[in-house]
Amino acid sequence: MIYGTDLSIEFRDTPGHIGAPLRIIAGLLLSGAVIVAMAQRPDPNDWPVYSGTDNGQRYSPLKQITAANANRLQAKWVYHMDGASGMEQTPVVMDGVMYISQFNRVDAIDARTGNIIWKYQRPSASAMPQRGTAVYNDTVYMVTSDSHLVALDARNGGVRWDVKSEGGYVISGAAPIIARGKVIVSGNRPDGFIQAFDAETGRYAWSWVAVPKSGEREAETWGGARPQGGPMWMSGSYDPESNLLYYGTGQPNPQWTGFERPGDNLYTECIVAINADTGKLVWYFQNTPHDTHDWDSTETLVLVDGIFKGQARKLLLQANRNGLYYILDRINGEFLLGTPFVSKVDWADGLDSRGRPIVIPGHDPSVRGTMTCPSTAGATNWPAPTYSPDTKYFYVTVAEGCGINFITSSTAPDAGTGYIETSSAPWQAYVRALDATTGKKVWEYKPIRSNHYGPGLLSTAGGIVFTPEQFGQVTVLDAKSGKPLWHFNTGDLITASPIAYGVDGEQFFAIASGTNVFAFGLQGVKP
Amino acid sequence: MNRALVMAASILTWAAGTTLAQRGGDPGPANPFQGKPGAVHEGESLYAEHCTGCHGPNGSAGEIGPAIVSGERADFSAGDAQVFNTIKNGVQGTPMGPQRLADDEMWKIVSYIHALRGTAIDSPLPGDVAHGEQIFWGKGHCGTCHMLGGRGGLTAPDLNNIAGTRKASTIIDALTKEQHHEYGSGGAHLKSLPPMDSYLPVHLTTADGKVIDGVLLNQDGYSLQMIGNDQRLHSFDRAKLRRVDIEPKSLMPTDYDKRLTSGEFKDLLAFLTRQGTKLPPPTPARGGPPRGDDH
Repeated sequence: MIYGTDLSIEFRDTPGHIGAPLRIIAGLLLSGAVIVAMAQRPDPNDWPVYSGTDNGQRYSPLKQITAANANRLQAKWVYHMDGASGMEQTPVVMDGVMYISQFNRVDAIDARTGNIIWKYQRPSASAMPQRGTAVYNDTVYMVTSDSHLVALDARNGGVRWDVKSEGGYVISGAAPIIARGKVIVSGNRPDGFIQAFDAETGRYAWSWVAVPKSGEREAETWGGARPQGGPMWMSGSYDPESNLLYYGTGQPNPQWTGFERPGDNLYTECIVAINADTGKLVWYFQNTPHDTHDWDSTETLVLVDGIFKGQARKLLLQANRNGLYYILDRINGEFLLGTPFVSKVDWADGLDSRGRPIVIPGHDPSVRGTMTCPSTAGATNWPAPTYSPDTKYFYVTVAEGCGINFITSSTAPDAGTGYIETSSAPWQAYVRALDATTGKKVWEYKPIRSNHYGPGLLSTAGGIVFTPEQFGQVTVLDAKSGKPLWHFNTGDLITASPIAYGVDGEQFFAIASGTNVFAFGLQGVKP
Repeated sequence: MNRALVMAASILTWAAGTTLAQRGGDPGPANPFQGKPGAVHEGESLYAEHCTGCHGPNGSAGEIGPAIVSGERADFSAGDAQVFNTIKNGVQGTPMGPQRLADDEMWKIVSYIHALRGTAIDSPLPGDVAHGEQIFWGKGHCGTCHMLGGRGGLTAPDLNNIAGTRKASTIIDALTKEQHHEYGSGGAHLKSLPPMDSYLPVHLTTADGKVIDGVLLNQDGYSLQMIGNDQRLHSFDRAKLRRVDIEPKSLMPTDYDKRLTSGEFKDLLAFLTRQGTKLPPPTPARGGPPRGDDH
């Protein structure tokens, strides 16, 4: 295509990309057929939601940039977010416009040039890291630091509607996701929750809360303690075919001591499947029953249609903070596989046939300190993994190492605590490619000096894995071999996950680093 | 280095003074010029003469003195009497010395600083708000270009928070004066790249002769972003445009005091000065929910 042709934010009627006429039809006929069409893969040039697509794969079908030409990558532009701090957001892109969000703020920039188009700032300014926004039907959905969900006109930043969370729930900085005409937000307080709002009107639809009220059946798993916790601070994934939303929940409270809450503490540390129309729980799988290490199960849930042990199955993949790589059947929640993806997992002696860990006693935090592998920071954490349908590998940044967990009192249930790196097993990050259906390591790349779980990853049809590193390097790896092909120093820490997008036939990568967003493309493709 | 220390000391001193006065609960004497718009304009001239050198134009911070009208510092809520005292007595240990001005002059500067702070939403104008809304969408044709509450046009700024970002006087000026400026706009001290916000009419001719009219959102030497009269967002490579004509004057009419009856105009202002969000009171920590478990 020719650079300089008009890029326009009018919505096209390509499959899976709801156009204005289709939207009207959808408004008139809320029928399954139309809605399913809406939920298909977006135009590969766009990156409308946190993970790029509903399935959490963070995979781009764009293939202008390949393993063969990645050495011709160069920075195309840099956009500075004044007032930001340690940006964690994934920008979203629709029709050549990039939307970069903070709490209470969205900047719309020309994704080809980096030029600012509009800014929306809702009082008051916030420098708190936040993880992104979503764009759908020419509307940008943003969460605020006072728990509002705001819908902005994608063309000029005009406010379409602005609603407060229902029931006083505190919305987290997780990017909203879209499911069947609903915007889904999540949060931690007073307990983990997700809430759905009508994307067109902002009307509240439903909530699902991670812990039971006293008297409910699940409350029996708390040994008489008041159920609390289960924070939900990451974006979920969505399967339009089954109309199921998938979310991970965090730790039970008190966080570090379990003696006052004997039992599994449902639905903390779970992967849950929620019906997007009703908000009702369809199934759950608990990764870490009765957790005392804050191994939130909030890591991105990756939905893959694959062959597992010779059978075509609808799978859900997760590299969990507790050190285990899980494969579940995403329709019924059946446990299929759980295997370590770091070298040392010392708190469990494997999993039983239903995926329940066989816990090795003696790992609870203590006043003297208890070493556990992996650490509370996790074998991995929130930065995104990626799945490539080409290689069928699951790529994830992992942290090898152990931690020592302390509590300040052995008798106070809410004893304060901390955890530290152990000198005997210091932390080192790796980028690993796992065979997605066996969890076996295929290759690894060691980002020198990175000692933290680091930024997220992205794979593309060009056969590469875009790999930002904690200390500012952006590296491109060969998706098959893990061999580094190109690198660029952004000059600041990176704690975000990357995207790929296209404008007028030119492919870009973008990543937030420190207080800037960098865009990269191939030298010589465009003037 | 020294300058930075002096500024920091000055900020701390003023902040401490403010806190003590507030704890005492005595707001001090009222400004004798309160509610007199003329005093604001006289105060502006006096401010330009005596204060701009240190505090910058419009109180937006200068080479020596800190910003005094906007930002995150707690003392922006200092009352008129406290500001008066600071001007009269100075701030010990900082370059801010006692000002040798008549009390009336100092009160006029206080009036100006007061006017720089706060926006229309803090003191909305009286009138029939519901009728003002009808004028907005009806006779005034404001919604043809402006968006409000998710309705309206795209060729002018969204007005959802106009009263939270503009003074009533600025809104009146925008509706009635060809030449007008915004108090408290921060002067020349840009902190980041702003969008153009001018919405100047632009006429483009593409290399293949196609003509596109609309309003300008941004431009540089290589590209141009605009909203067309087709209500779509466009981005162009400048090298591929045969011709770019930008009109120097906004499409916004500035004779609303004549187009509308005085009652209609009053009601429109009552409506506009209520469109916005009041800034929440300053919190001790930076904004946003507690981080808690987000890692």
